[in-house]
Amino acid sequence: MASCSRLSLHPFLSSASVRLACNRNVQVEASTAKSLYPPIVPSRTAKSKAAKRRVVTEFFEQLRSCTAQEKIRALTRVQRKKYVIYPHTFALNADRWYQHYTKTTFLNGLPEKYESASVVDESVLSEVRAVVCNSILQEHWHAKKGRTFIQKEQEQLVTPFLRNAVCGLKNLLAKESRVLTLSSLDFDPQVNYYWLRGERTIPEGHRRGRVEPMRFQIDDKPHSQIRIPQQLPEFVPLEAEISAEVPVITLAPDLLPLFRRQYDNHIFIGAKLEDPCCYGHTQFHVVPDRFRRDKMSKRGLSDQVEVSLRANGIASLFAWTGAQAMYQGFWSEEDVSRPFVSQAVITDGQFFSFFCYQLNTLALSPSADGNNSRKNVCWGTESMQLYERITDGDIVGLNDAVLKLLLQFLLNKPQC
Amino acid sequence: MSFLFYLFRYPLYQLGNPQLRIFRPTFNLALVRPGKEQPPDTVQFRIPMEMTKFDVRNYLEKIYSVPVAAVRTRIQYLKRPDYKVAYVQLVSVILFSQISFLRRIRSSVEEMQEKFMEDECQRQKPDPRRGGVTEWFGL
Repeated sequence: MASCSRLSLHPFLSSASVRLACNRNVQVEASTAKSLYPPIVPSRTAKSKAAKRRVVTEFFEQLRSCTAQEKIRALTRVQRKKYVIYPHTFALNADRWYQHYTKTTFLNGLPEKYESASVVDESVLSEVRAVVCNSILQEHWHAKKGRTFIQKEQEQLVTPFLRNAVCGLKNLLAKESRVLTLSSLDFDPQVNYYWLRGERTIPEGHRRGRVEPMRFQIDDKPHSQIRIPQQLPEFVPLEAEISAEVPVITLAPDLLPLFRRQYDNHIFIGAKLEDPCCYGHTQFHVVPDRFRRDKMSKRGLSDQVEVSLRANGIASLFAWTGAQAMYQGFWSEEDVSRPFVSQAVITDGQFFSFFCYQLNTLALSPSADGNNSRKNVCWGTESMQLYERITDGDIVGLNDAVLKLLLQFLLNKPQC
Repeated sequence: MSFLFYLFRYPLYQLGNPQLRIFRPTFNLALVRPGKEQPPDTVQFRIPMEMTKFDVRNYLEKIYSVPVAAVRTRIQYLKRPDYKVAYVQLVSVILFSQISFLRRIRSSVEEMQEKFMEDECQRQKPDPRRGGVTEWFGL
């Protein structure tokens, strides 16, 4: 039988005692201690909004490490009904609606680069004049074409003129601008782009009441395009403040009218991904027969002529620059780190309009648009007459300003 | 005397004759308030089934001299009677909130309730043709 001895109070009084030492170091070590359990995340397969969000986040994370080809395939693989935007449209005031769907501001006139009167070489200008005059006279004077009425007049008259003019100008200016020798000129290419913008509540069907993003597709067939291996220089810096606003349309796209179809979602710049000329330079468009000036004025829509030209420029250039950016691996979650620039000339044979487009953001989908303050910019001119009329093998009233702008557009080159 | 009506005929019309008769169209257009939100330059009409887009355009331009930019039509079936709806896009923008005659269509809920109460009270009153005699002993 051991005798119990009284315990001394000494261990409790000293601050270096074992008990107090244990208490003192616990808080310090807890912050650096490794947790024994994995992080708590929502399930991947449960029927819940958190699970859906996790699946989507993981999908996006996995996409960030893929190549551009795989990204495009993953984002366009699933087919659903989408609104098809036609660059040439009979809809009234379509340019405001298109600006909203592409998040573009429209500025009248051209960027400062073209506004400031630059010195243009007179000899080159006269050569350009010769090429253009020859092309016009070839179609309207030398070649005999039915004078009473031609079905598909634009196709018979304007398309070959523009073909000759573009080919001739590109070869002529190759000695001025080295990038044109390395460029690729294509006739009748296809330009397609597919993107998500805005949300809508499904009105009818088994998914009624749910919110889904609106899908859009542009399928464009320009007359010709010039593609170059390097990027054109930007007109304004990427994060520049632009005074004009993007118009906001709260109505459904069906009221424009825009119609929905389901087919393959294409993203194409005019050549496949592996093509070395993957950046756009200039596109040329021909106004179709239905939207010619005389036909529009017969229907009483003379003021819609400029509107439809603007809508054409915005839609076509947005599709082209967007597709170029997708080819470089950017998409709505990975926004562009440098602006993509392209130019376009839209003509109906006599009137020319010039458009410049700078793509600053691709993040238009509902998830990415929340805190995106960038907007795309489009500059455009009114339509300018190239010539007044053609009489007896001679062109009357040739406008040199149009030729100068054409020359400056084609001579735009990337900084070496 | 009535047989004389059948003897009178208008003279046969040839080009250049004075116009003695006016033929009014048998169409009637009804301007309606859209059920779904429409753009500000779009006006909605209920038109007879036999009318086409060109008829609507000519009707508005020639009779009411309203410049029309575009007309789109659809037929509303499953609602008896079926009717045709025309969405007319005008050249200039119309703001419906500023047109006063359409304000009467927008009746407030209180007015409808008051009217209902009035109708009910009027139904409860005895027949005035009895001259104050009670209905207890009547038929």
